[in-house]
Amino acid sequence: MKTPKIDLKEIKKMKKQNFKERLKFIDKYTEWLKKTKNKKWSRQQKKIINK
Amino acid sequence: MEIKYSKNKIELEKELNALDKLAIKISTILNKQDIKHVIVSGYICILFGRSRSSENIDIIIEKIGPEKFEKLWKETKNKELHCINAQKPKEAYNEYLTTGVAIRLSKKDEFIPNIEMKFPKNELDAWTLKQRKQVLLNSHKLFIPPWNYKYHSNSSSEAKKTSRTQNTSTTLSKTN
Repeated sequence: MKTPKIDLKEIKKMKKQNFKERLKFIDKYTEWLKKTKNKKWSRQQKKIINK
Repeated sequence: MEIKYSKNKIELEKELNALDKLAIKISTILNKQDIKHVIVSGYICILFGRSRSSENIDIIIEKIGPEKFEKLWKETKNKELHCINAQKPKEAYNEYLTTGVAIRLSKKDEFIPNIEMKFPKNELDAWTLKQRKQVLLNSHKLFIPPWNYKYHSNSSSEAKKTSRTQNTSTTLSKTN
């Protein structure tokens, strides 16, 4: 079986982009948390954690 | 987010998840036994809203003698928390805690989530324990690191993210 060519440079670039996006998401999520009632955000969090 | 804060205390009311309940359970036992402790790492971010789960809750407890530890061992068993990696209190104390290795406690027949409990290993751990701050979570007393605490021990990207989120939590507490 032929394995796909892996471009390490491209992967590194993608990793950097993903990390940047992740940080942006955290900032957005934090803004949402700030203006959302505890009951609402903690109910959503509970769904993820208690899975 | 509704949150009350002062120099040494944060008050927060939320719908409790499984990790919150486990943190409350172990903190209540340690408070009752008068053992100084502080919860560190990933759970702190979860406490203040990060939507991720964790396999464990990391907790640093003050160095205590074998007799006090035996009492703690009995109390954890009474509250249905069992040690995963040691069978007897002497083994847990001599082969784990005093050699710098954490013991893991969980509900019977469960591996995750568990509580990773250790004695302070270095200056940072000792400082964190000394400077701990109080959180009243739905009126239950928990202890967490000082507001400006950062994790320096791991330079991985995950650790950086954790550190960032924790600082975000601090920002939240300051702005609300």
